[in-house]
Amino acid sequence: MPPQNWTEIVESGYLRLFHPEAVGGTGGSPATQAAALEALARACPGTYWTATVSALLCAKLIFTYGGTERHGDLVRSLVEGRRLAAFAVVETEAGSDASTFRSAVRPADTPGGGFYISGEKSRISNAPVADVAVTLARREKPPGDDGPDWCLAFVDLRQPGVRRYDIPHMGLRGMPWGGIVFTDAHVDAADVVPVPFEELAEGMAWGWLKTSFSAIAIAESALAASVRHAKERVSFGRPLAHMEGVQAQLAESRAQIDAARLLARRALHERVAGRSARDLIAKLKIYATEMAVGVVVRAVQIHGAAGVTKGHEVERLYRDAEMNVIGGFTSNRLREQVAESTGLGPAVYAEFDWVTPAGLGRDPSGLDGP
Amino acid sequence: MTLLDAPVDTGTGTVGAEPLLAEGARRLADRVVRPSAAPRDRDRGWDPELFSELAGGGPGPGLAGPLVPLTRGGGGLSATQTCALLEGLGEGSRDPGLALAVVVHAVLVTVPLRAFGTETIKLDYLPRMASGEWVGGLSLRQTQGTAQAPAAVAARPVPGGWLLRGELDLVAGAPVAHHLLVVAALDGGGRTAFVVDREADGLEVGEGEPTAMRTCPWGRVVLNDCFAPDRAVLGTVGGAADEVEPLLAVLDWTFTSAPWIGVMRALAREAVGTARERRLFGRPLAHDQTVRFTLADLSIRVELASEVVRRAAAGFDAADRPSRRDAASARLFAASAARDIAERAAHLSGPFAPSGDDLAGRAHRDALFFSATGGGTEVLRPVIAASLLELG
Repeated sequence: MPPQNWTEIVESGYLRLFHPEAVGGTGGSPATQAAALEALARACPGTYWTATVSALLCAKLIFTYGGTERHGDLVRSLVEGRRLAAFAVVETEAGSDASTFRSAVRPADTPGGGFYISGEKSRISNAPVADVAVTLARREKPPGDDGPDWCLAFVDLRQPGVRRYDIPHMGLRGMPWGGIVFTDAHVDAADVVPVPFEELAEGMAWGWLKTSFSAIAIAESALAASVRHAKERVSFGRPLAHMEGVQAQLAESRAQIDAARLLARRALHERVAGRSARDLIAKLKIYATEMAVGVVVRAVQIHGAAGVTKGHEVERLYRDAEMNVIGGFTSNRLREQVAESTGLGPAVYAEFDWVTPAGLGRDPSGLDGP
Repeated sequence: MTLLDAPVDTGTGTVGAEPLLAEGARRLADRVVRPSAAPRDRDRGWDPELFSELAGGGPGPGLAGPLVPLTRGGGGLSATQTCALLEGLGEGSRDPGLALAVVVHAVLVTVPLRAFGTETIKLDYLPRMASGEWVGGLSLRQTQGTAQAPAAVAARPVPGGWLLRGELDLVAGAPVAHHLLVVAALDGGGRTAFVVDREADGLEVGEGEPTAMRTCPWGRVVLNDCFAPDRAVLGTVGGAADEVEPLLAVLDWTFTSAPWIGVMRALAREAVGTARERRLFGRPLAHDQTVRFTLADLSIRVELASEVVRRAAAGFDAADRPSRRDAASARLFAASAARDIAERAAHLSGPFAPSGDDLAGRAHRDALFFSATGGGTEVLRPVIAASLLELG
């Protein structure tokens, strides 16, 4: 991101909107927050991700689990744009399945020496450039410690025990994305916060909400481009706008974006009011992100060959839209959670071995038997 | 697998007779079945004469026994040719329920008898099934192994045969059948397939009809220590899971889909007519680009569905075993296409009183039934996945 862009984002007050004055925020109303989220994501979804992961998601996580008393300065530095944060959860061999995570925090050998973290986090927004990483890690617990197995460690990334790398990615290319390798990187004792894993989804829901607004904005941009193109482009002697097939595509997109936006605003309102709304946000994230992919596919269709030309707006949006479906819990992962919230009970896994005993596991004889 | 008993003779004597067979069946069904389709649907009517006419009324092979070898009095058709014949039946009759009754008789009951029946059974049953004199029936719950439920019928051995006990619903053909194909569980594990005569002591047919497919005769069958002689066993005792059950599944997935290809063709054609006739905003619906796109999509889906169903049928004509994956994929695709086409056709017809024989309305209802049977997506998807993943 060009430095000037970041300066302007900081000066706009965007980063401050989501937090109370006590930590340097301006406590924007839900409507203001929604408008700002969408406006930045309309302008550049990649920049939106970078700024919002740091100032909304990471700041909320630090705020929620670390508390403002000890970490007020850290939150303030993010809200004021002096520092940039990454949320480091995913590892090279694992997605959202915590049981496979290996990164761990261990106490220093000397009393008062804080902690050391080792492990590798991968496919992380802002990782290559961030100043601090809100890092999910296992706790190496001394005997007698019956606290949670997991912690959030707020790790200073500008130290010798940290190596970073870029990963090329399909969409959101304005957003730095990559990996972080911790090799006995130091963490102050106060910056290791034990957290029960189940509770983390509560904080991560801020991320789902952020991603949903990104999707809605991408869809809106794609629809706006489609409307513009439909009015300008003449084909077979008629502007596209006079073709019912194109009209139908525009109408479907309009209806779907409206539905997602209304739900997003309601979810944000709930969240700002201090209520969890976690299941509602999970539902929103699934619909909004997949909806945006559909809208962008239609936009490319309406634009024809221009839409698949590198550098065209809808070509970029097409690549960006899918990132939202995958980022911060995929739709498949979230659907399991939503299903559970309907009263179905938790997901049940069993070895796939029931087709053959039912008589359907082999090819049949032909017409004349064996 | 090729037919062993006789060379294929379709009346044209040439390979690639499918279009002629389909056209012949379409014309016959159009003449014989179509005029009464709507009233029979309304009254849940079954017309034995109509079935007889389909069995032997046309110039080509009859619809009652296309898969019965010529030497046993049947049509001696290949599976691919039979598929074409059934497509024609579906298109001409515009009657999914009756077409289902024909498929149950001519394929789902006939082929297991042909493939696994004792010689006595084949000698007695196949010629009479091919002529339409004896009608076969079975429960559509028994065409997916025990995927949906444990076997509802139990069999225990007695001198000279078996006593069957249990209840079956959704038995297609029950009220008019001469015999039924029944899979029963054995005490010591395993399942056995039987052919059970309708008149056997201890077998009762009661009422039990689904709301859809009203032109197919339906019933609930109660077996109360019903005796089946040893000769009525199809295949190996206890071997149904390896023999009759996978065969029944693949036959159902493939051949009950075949008439729907024809029904989909009829729906798509009718939808074009509707689009030409109806007006919206003072313009013919056919001028609306979205309607044109919809009709284009319908015609695409019909062609795709037709190909996958034919490929599944062709598995029975090849040297190797038929592929359960191809058959399950065909059914998955065809059922989705049928529902989609029926829905769009009904949508195009509009919310007003039905006109003509109301194929759009009937098919909309029946396509839902079609897509739920054969196990529905909940059975088809794991079967396909099991084959892809080499699991299951």
